[in-house]
Amino acid sequence: MTCPRCDSENVRIMVTAPVDNAWEVYLCEKCHYSWRSTEDIHISEKFKLTDEKIDAMGVIPPVPPLD
Amino acid sequence: MSVISKDLRSFLALLEQEGQLVRVKEEVMPEPDIASAGRAAANFKNGPAVLFEKVRGYNTKVVTNVHGSWENHALMLGLPKDTPVKDQFAELNRRWDMFPVPPKVVSRDQAPCKENVITENINLFDVLSLYRINDQDAGFFISKAAVVTADHNDPGNFDKMNVGTYRIQVKDKDRVGIQALAFHDIAVHLEQAERQNKPLPIAITLGNNPLVTFMASTPIGYEQNEYEFVGALQNGEPLEIVQSDLYEHLYVPAGSEIVLEGYIEPRVREVEGPFGEFPGSYSGSRKQCVVKIERITHRTDPIFENLYLGIPWTEIDYLMALNTSVPLYKQLKRDFPEVVAVNAMYTHGIGVIISTKCRFGGYGKSVAFRLLSTPHGMPYSKVVIVVDEFVDPFNLEQVMWAITTRVKPDKDVSIIENCPGMPLDPSSVPAGMHSKLIIDATTPVAPEPNPRDVELLMPPAKTGYWEDRLKELWNKGGK
Repeated sequence: MTCPRCDSENVRIMVTAPVDNAWEVYLCEKCHYSWRSTEDIHISEKFKLTDEKIDAMGVIPPVPPLD
Repeated sequence: MSVISKDLRSFLALLEQEGQLVRVKEEVMPEPDIASAGRAAANFKNGPAVLFEKVRGYNTKVVTNVHGSWENHALMLGLPKDTPVKDQFAELNRRWDMFPVPPKVVSRDQAPCKENVITENINLFDVLSLYRINDQDAGFFISKAAVVTADHNDPGNFDKMNVGTYRIQVKDKDRVGIQALAFHDIAVHLEQAERQNKPLPIAITLGNNPLVTFMASTPIGYEQNEYEFVGALQNGEPLEIVQSDLYEHLYVPAGSEIVLEGYIEPRVREVEGPFGEFPGSYSGSRKQCVVKIERITHRTDPIFENLYLGIPWTEIDYLMALNTSVPLYKQLKRDFPEVVAVNAMYTHGIGVIISTKCRFGGYGKSVAFRLLSTPHGMPYSKVVIVVDEFVDPFNLEQVMWAITTRVKPDKDVSIIENCPGMPLDPSSVPAGMHSKLIIDATTPVAPEPNPRDVELLMPPAKTGYWEDRLKELWNKGGK
């Protein structure tokens, strides 16, 4: 299975439904996108992620210097 | 005045009694049903809260749109549900002045939020019926928590303990991301801890007394405690709080449905977002903080409360309407007693309307300058309209009348460049910078010339009588 947002193959099952095993939720360990097995996922091109985009992301809030 | 509800469940009972809650008994899917119903409920003028009793795969009920109409907002204040917005504003202002009302600390066995405890194999999905709110969100978000943190260098200082609402992305069964923007109080606490490379203790409370949620999203001073404001807004009755199980310096509302306790991992940032935000568009992805959850306490048969946010108006716009207006009004009124009311209901105060009497020429514009120098107005407010004291700023038809008949564009419209801006406003470029627009729609007073002074049309003498009489006849079917 690959991440629908960043195409990473580093994807695992985050959780199975507490009742009736009704669904699973998957987690991308690279970009932290998550989705449910019952969803029909279409990621907008605007929100697809690449290594370059992840490297260029802003950091909120900035990490302060150590005292 | 009816009773002011002290926790979420008693408020839901009141809403149901007043015809402002809809129960959905049939099983629904987490997506897209819950968010769609949140949008749909906000599309109604008097939108009800929506309680889902059965969500596929989950044990926990979900409620949404709890604050999502002026009727629900009035009932939150213990007022009749048909109370006009301007009257709700006035009542909030009256109660605001009772601050501070210290909370009552109850023992652990008196606190419903401690009825059940989970300390091992933490799984948020066991107690929260999580779902995607907007289609392009990066995951399942918690949009209506009251998050408790304390000053890391002065943890025993109750005034500096903060209760705020920040967006939370579920990243694992026991791990969530949280957005702490630099101008939020939680970011002050976080910086103190991160400078020492220490985790920041945190309690995430869910399903709260609606006034706790209201205050958690109200912009107040760093050393003003939200719980003491809740007591004021409860008409002087203290809020009941209880000590956190993990951290003796943190206190949570005793009646919360669910409390997640843990810590922000120091100096860690991970990809977070996008998330559909209150300006009606998605924020992008950024690297943001992460919280490890170590303990959950919850009421028996807990209710998960969350809100939908979309193109305004949706629930969040009702929640952040008067709680933005009142503190801005108080800050203006302190220096300019002529100010009558402030309506900062538009996108958390990005748009503001002020009504004021003008003492001398240029007064209206100067009141706008003051608003733009308040702690909240400085980054958020962008479009400021000033109207005369006899114009109701909560009545947009009257405001438009003032603009159409009072404004001389060449002198009454001002643009101030290169000011702070709200980063989530998509027209803020670069994010965090903006220009400001002031429209002075007040009548000129000396020494400003007013060469075409006019006489206003006043209501005929018995208008008030006829309002009452017509209402009476109307209620009888017009006979």
